[in-house]
Amino acid sequence: MQRSRIFGPVGAVWFLLTLAAIVYATRLGLLLAPTEATMGNVARILYYHVPHSMLSLVFPYINFAASLFYLYWRRRDPLKALTADAVAIAGAEVTVVYGSICLLTGMLWGRVAWGIWWTWDARLTSMLLLWLLYVSYMMLRKLSATGQTHTLAAVLSVFAAIDVPIVYMSIRWWRTQHPAPVFGGGEDSGLDASMWPAFAWNIVAWALWGVLLLAMRYALERRRQEREQEAALQAIEASLEMAQ
Amino acid sequence: MNFSWMFGSSMEARHLLYAYVAVWAIQGGYAGWVLYQWLRAGRQSRTVSHTDNH
Repeated sequence: MQRSRIFGPVGAVWFLLTLAAIVYATRLGLLLAPTEATMGNVARILYYHVPHSMLSLVFPYINFAASLFYLYWRRRDPLKALTADAVAIAGAEVTVVYGSICLLTGMLWGRVAWGIWWTWDARLTSMLLLWLLYVSYMMLRKLSATGQTHTLAAVLSVFAAIDVPIVYMSIRWWRTQHPAPVFGGGEDSGLDASMWPAFAWNIVAWALWGVLLLAMRYALERRRQEREQEAALQAIEASLEMAQ
Repeated sequence: MNFSWMFGSSMEARHLLYAYVAVWAIQGGYAGWVLYQWLRAGRQSRTVSHTDNH
């Protein structure tokens, strides 16, 4: 049975609330938050850059957990494994979307703040590596024609997840061009209280949006799986008819 | 409310605008692509069923 809509009433309400939250958070970040004392208005990129960067380190774990479930279920319960596989591809793609934004907005900010688009410091390099790992995960799934593609992709995702704590810790372990951590970076770290509303709203809004994207991509993958199963069943029926 | 600083010609203003527009374009583009693929997959599925019924 095919679902005719990508999401039901709950999803529609979620979508509208998320859109309202994004608009409100953007208004706070662009217009109402105070101008940063040192960098000026360009520091407002923070309200998009940091939430996307933080979330790009969260979504890989959805891909990672789903891949582990896939590896566990692929022989024990293939139908559950297919569900896990659909969650895994959704997690990987949303990671690439958020990672792309993290890198792009970081470069736009870096060009103004540092005078350069890019530097091979530990944070930027490990983040680029994470992005490349998930792009290669998607390319493997798209281009590989072996029967083991999903298993290989699941194993790759386990290795890719190892890079996430390295990205997170890179600005704590090494001296980098990238600023020290805003959160959990010691006594001098943290945001000014006046910047918190814009920052918190952007985190919440983009997290809600990310969950919506996950749900949509999951629904798409499930529809594709159903279509493949239908096609396979029809092929079997046709071959049986020909044999009779 | 004065919006002019957002559309100035300085590098700061341009990069801030690019960053915000890029985020909306990437996020909206990806959501649109998923929706398009969903509709396309649905159409193909109906075509298969329709052909099968004949």
